[in-house]
Amino acid sequence: MHTVIKFKVNGRWVEVEVPCHWTLLRLLREKLGLTGTKEGCGIGECGACTVLLDGMPVNSCLILAPKVEGREVHTVEGLGSRAGLHPLQKSFIDHGAVQCGFCTPGILMSSKALIDKNPHPTRGEMKEAISGHLCRCTGYHQIIEAIEAVKK
Amino acid sequence: MISAFDYKIPRTLKEACDLLWDYGDKARLIAGGTDLVIALRKGDLKPSCLIDVTNIPELRKIEEQNGMIFIGAAATHSEIASSSIIKKYGRILSDAVAEIGSPQIRNVGTIGGNIINASPAADTIPPLMVLDAVAQVTSREGEKEVPLHLLFKGPYGTNLKPYEILVNVSFKKLSSDIKTSFVRLARREAMAIARMSVAVILQREKGKRQIKEVRISLGSVTPTPQRITDVEAILRGKTPDEERLKIASRKISEVMIQHSGVRPTTSYKAPVVEALFMRGFRQALGKEG
Repeated sequence: MHTVIKFKVNGRWVEVEVPCHWTLLRLLREKLGLTGTKEGCGIGECGACTVLLDGMPVNSCLILAPKVEGREVHTVEGLGSRAGLHPLQKSFIDHGAVQCGFCTPGILMSSKALIDKNPHPTRGEMKEAISGHLCRCTGYHQIIEAIEAVKK
Repeated sequence: MISAFDYKIPRTLKEACDLLWDYGDKARLIAGGTDLVIALRKGDLKPSCLIDVTNIPELRKIEEQNGMIFIGAAATHSEIASSSIIKKYGRILSDAVAEIGSPQIRNVGTIGGNIINASPAADTIPPLMVLDAVAQVTSREGEKEVPLHLLFKGPYGTNLKPYEILVNVSFKKLSSDIKTSFVRLARREAMAIARMSVAVILQREKGKRQIKEVRISLGSVTPTPQRITDVEAILRGKTPDEERLKIASRKISEVMIQHSGVRPTTSYKAPVVEALFMRGFRQALGKEG
């Protein structure tokens, strides 16, 4: 009931062996040490576990590991680094869109998917893009402003 | 706690049917998994094998053929919401799936999963009911076509055998004179289950106000999906004036209570389903009224 999965993470091919019933979230965190992606609810309702699968935001807590065979995953670790922050990351900091930071990695990934596909989203489109995310700290205003600042 | 299982990824429908036949009721099909994985993690289900059907080409297609629209069971809600074919010939369905869950859920969840999960609150089903959709089902025993309304036996239950696979759903293309509306009521604007929904398809007599054809289905308020034929009969062939609409809307709540009984929520749901029906119907009528 174990399986070997070969897939791309943040631009690099990896090969791992995990039990078939592991979720992508667990694989990323416990097998690959990519703990930027968080478990908020485990049932696909809060968005904290959001990663990009073939460029699309998905709840990694609901993706069983074998599903990603041959596919491409992007996590927050691939977005930028301390040395070189992604414009979204810089904007989130500048606009006070990060408080406890727990929801942030997921929201960054959804935001990245949005502006990669649509560099000039409307406010409505931004709100829709983050509609699968819960933030208990900020009240969402600063997050929308942060995304809006990047589209310019 | 989730228990262990094997994970198979068949590339053809035949492979999937064979696997399902061999494993019997020890296997479950998985498409997106947005409902299934939750059930697995809760321990509600303990299959020894999951059969992932999302790599079977026939199950992913959205296409038009001979005046009919075919949607593969593994087409995701995102794919359906953005499909130009569905937006043109089956708009009520693309409108409805665009409101399911969240972008993350829509990118993974499938129409087949939504149907087979058979939640009374499923959002694909009322639109498919008014589209008179037909399900194509296959197994080692062969292929068959099942009118969608015959697929459901109760909340969260279909009549499919454990070795059967839903391949696609199909419906007749809607002509441009047909108006549709899907209205959905939920606690939040996103990521909230539908507390009730109304799906309406409407066609007028050419150049007249009279209703030639009308189809109505409700979501979340009946145990199994229904066409509300009593209300359709009140409206068919008639002019949709205020008085007639009021009679129709009162019948809507009557039918709801007939199917679901009187419950603690009925004093809320009865007037609200009437209002939701009026809103949906007026939307379908458009400005001409």
